[in-house]
Amino acid sequence: MSDIKLVNVTKQYDGQPLPAVDGVTLDIAAGELVVFVGPSGCGKTTTMKMINRLIEPTSGRILLGGTDVMSIEPNELRRHIGYVIQQIGLFPHMTISENIQLVPGLLGWDKTRSRRRADELLELVGLDPVAYRDRYPRQLSGGQQQRVGVARALAADPPVMLMDEPFGATDPITRERLQNEFLRLQAELRKTIVFVTHDFDEAVKLGDRIAVLEERSRIAQYDTPERILATPADDYVASFAGSATAIKRLALIPAERLPGKPLNVANGLPTLDKGGSARDVLDLMIRWGTAQVAVDGGKAVDFETICGLLGDDHGR
Amino acid sequence: MAVDTLSGAFGGATRKSRSYNLGTPLVLAAALVLLYLWLSTQQLDSMEARVLSAASIRDATLAHLTLTAISTSIVVVIAIPIGVLLTRPFARWLTPWVMAVANVGQAAPALGVLVLLSILFGIGTKIAIVTLVFHATLPVLRNTIAGIQQVDSALLEAGRGMGMSRRQILRRLELPLAVPVVMAGLRTTIVICVGIATVATFINAGGLGDIVVAGIKLQRTSILVTGGVLTAVIALGLDWLAGLAEKYVRPQGI
Repeated sequence: MSDIKLVNVTKQYDGQPLPAVDGVTLDIAAGELVVFVGPSGCGKTTTMKMINRLIEPTSGRILLGGTDVMSIEPNELRRHIGYVIQQIGLFPHMTISENIQLVPGLLGWDKTRSRRRADELLELVGLDPVAYRDRYPRQLSGGQQQRVGVARALAADPPVMLMDEPFGATDPITRERLQNEFLRLQAELRKTIVFVTHDFDEAVKLGDRIAVLEERSRIAQYDTPERILATPADDYVASFAGSATAIKRLALIPAERLPGKPLNVANGLPTLDKGGSARDVLDLMIRWGTAQVAVDGGKAVDFETICGLLGDDHGR
Repeated sequence: MAVDTLSGAFGGATRKSRSYNLGTPLVLAAALVLLYLWLSTQQLDSMEARVLSAASIRDATLAHLTLTAISTSIVVVIAIPIGVLLTRPFARWLTPWVMAVANVGQAAPALGVLVLLSILFGIGTKIAIVTLVFHATLPVLRNTIAGIQQVDSALLEAGRGMGMSRRQILRRLELPLAVPVVMAGLRTTIVICVGIATVATFINAGGLGDIVVAGIKLQRTSILVTGGVLTAVIALGLDWLAGLAEKYVRPQGI
């Protein structure tokens, strides 16, 4: 399987007093989405680019499914790793379908197969193949282009994907929609993904685990979003996590999983739509001034339940 | 000049229509008709009649077009590969040196170069073509380099990240995306060639320069105007044709 192991990886540029990446050691389990989050210039992108050898490490080892990446021919390696960048980088002189077929073409798939694959992927990212396959990138909106960017990275069904702030250049509404679609996609595909962002909220929303990086890509904390919010390792992580972390943690708990009482149909409580979180429950309570909210599925959740949710490890 | 050529190319890149500009050929045809009508009202003496005979004009025009076509082809064959080479990382340090030579080529007075070369190597069509190539290489060379350099670095990064080799990136990304800019340079080269080819007459290489110079020497306005108008019509006509070709070779989508 395609787990990723970074062992003491360092990148030292000539003429720089300090390394850009300083001795990073990190295990990423197969099928896991790990977010590298940190301020601009902290070396998170450099760390990611060493996985597909766009940047070569000065020392240390990177293992992909147990194989040292330095032992694989770089172009061959990259064809088996999906790659999405912030600027999307769709080739303007190729149609949407041709863009998606690029890596299958490099891998020597026959035309019919890669064309069918392109249609399949357009469908997967929510674009009608008949309407979009023969268009050119500039005929698509930014959000549509980014969907094609993801489809292109998925074209040859790589087990590993590297994503460098893929949703960074889109407006907040489009970004949220892309994030939701992406989560749905990942739940289905279970790729091993390294996702780079400087947006902590995006990291919390998307990551199975988050690596909070300091300068020179040193890992301040590597844990699940819940635990980073609940027990930040140090002041740096706490400041990065920002304020209202308890509220942010509530957002990670789906309302369906909350304990509740059977609902009396006639009581006229405010009702939460399907797919909401514990934070949405609290929001409804505050908005309506009630201590009880009906959650889709026929139960009533109490204010006390919400207050007790964060339980033992409330990190005071 | 560089700025004109580049901005022209970029302006063209944003235009989406593939409509032909029919204004140019109509104006050129009108100019030729007017020239013909005007000449037919003139009383031509024997010298004028000889220079302005159909055979004389046909030969001069054909020679002129041949000079232009051969020189332009040689420029394309030389300048595009050199331009591509100069954008490769290992050869980038050479760029200022080669550009300096190309700049001298365009800045040096054509007539001077022509005379100098003919003193050294004799007269005739070959030397005229060498002069033309020397003179007209710069636009294609410069635009090949500029055309490749203007390709968005995010595209190259995406290509590299997807596992394209350097050769594949050049062939499938850089070259197609540079086409509009290279074509703009080629149009400039063609127009320069048509213009400079008029001095080929001084080393007995023919062309419309024969007619223009005959007009000056014989002090016959009719001959002079005919030579001038024909040269201008050819320059503008070829530029229009090259513009048409550009629309067809430019990749779709950009």
